[in-house]
Amino acid sequence: MLVPVRLTVAELLRDRLGLTGTKVSCEMQVCGACTVLVDGDPVSSCATLACDLDGTGVLTVEGLARGRDLHPVQEAFMEANALQCGFCTPGFIMMAVALLDAHPDADRDDVREWMDGNLCRCTGYEPIETAVALAASRLAAATAADGQ
Amino acid sequence: MMKVDYHVDTIRGHVPPALLDRLLMTVLPELGLVRSAELGDVLAAVDYDHAPYAGGTELVPAMGLGLRRPVAIVDLKRVEALKGIEVDADAGTVTIGAAVTHRRLSDHGAVREHLPTLAAAASRVGNARVRSTGTVGGNLCFAEPRSDLGCVLVALGATAEVRSTRGARTLPIDELIVGAFETSLEPDEILTTVTVPFEPSGMSYWKLQSYERPTLGVALVVTEAQWQITVGAATERPARAAIAAGDTAGLDAFVDGLELSDDMTGPPAYKRSVLRAYLHRVLEAAR
Repeated sequence: MLVPVRLTVAELLRDRLGLTGTKVSCEMQVCGACTVLVDGDPVSSCATLACDLDGTGVLTVEGLARGRDLHPVQEAFMEANALQCGFCTPGFIMMAVALLDAHPDADRDDVREWMDGNLCRCTGYEPIETAVALAASRLAAATAADGQ
Repeated sequence: MMKVDYHVDTIRGHVPPALLDRLLMTVLPELGLVRSAELGDVLAAVDYDHAPYAGGTELVPAMGLGLRRPVAIVDLKRVEALKGIEVDADAGTVTIGAAVTHRRLSDHGAVREHLPTLAAAASRVGNARVRSTGTVGGNLCFAEPRSDLGCVLVALGATAEVRSTRGARTLPIDELIVGAFETSLEPDEILTTVTVPFEPSGMSYWKLQSYERPTLGVALVVTEAQWQITVGAATERPARAAIAAGDTAGLDAFVDGLELSDDMTGPPAYKRSVLRAYLHRVLEAAR
């Protein structure tokens, strides 16, 4: 795929590929709504140029579910009521996935520190922390069960 | 200006491909790219209109706002010479490539061992996304005053190696950062590496922060004889003082003499009051 140098990852995903799960808000790398994972690392797709994706693996919120089975982090957000309008949710979920992939044992303090660059203007942060902690405990339990 | 969003699929096939590109909203204007794995190639390309580019955390938003309008960006990320972290045990230094990201810096074993305060500061720069892509060189060369790394590196007495096609020169970070958003780099020069002496004992860094950038940063090296103080974020550039241990009058004179910024994080009087209280608390406890 050829892309103009000036195209951001968010523009590539939303405007060219029709993947509108990734949201754009502040365009200053402050709010986290546009978070996607590049080789597992969270980046702000609004401030990353698509030409830099050359040779990398990109994961967006659309890539989390397996068929009709949501990712454990997505399930946990629903159960913990960790969203209202939902605009910030894909960004929070991608941040949580990046955290738990790298640090499956993350505790609530780790979650709070890792997520301090994501803004939510309606739910508040407590249910979001709860959701990520819930997902972490389930992923840990699943890993333990796999190990037996 | 009205912003019209077109979905590409609704107009594809109805307009010529060249026009399609124009109809699609992009945040950035037309832009060229110079990309090479060779340092010589990027040095040959860089000038005022060909901007050094690595993480893009500052440059991309600046281009989006029209504050910076380069003809092309010169990608430094593929140059291995700019991505090393090397320890020189004999010299007692760590040399860090300008294109090393904050995350790699903070996670690196040798950096954590020899420069634990710098590693800790890097682990709290911006947010987790900024740390994925943002680089040491970008942080220093953008010279945003509200920076943690500038303050810590000045306190450590770090030096910068700067290169252009005309040659290389070495200068203290203290002289690289000239003022707010201002460095002593010529338009054709890039920062290549930062060499940092191993951290002395008695070093600490503390910051006050309630938004995405620090409001006030304080790096201290406290010995029995001396208080070395570097204040950043609230000043245009890191401000240093070496005060004899116990000289609280000297300490107050330093704090009172600082020119502190007035911005949305608070007026100078507030920052001065926090700084004074912090320094007295920490330094008096150290005696």
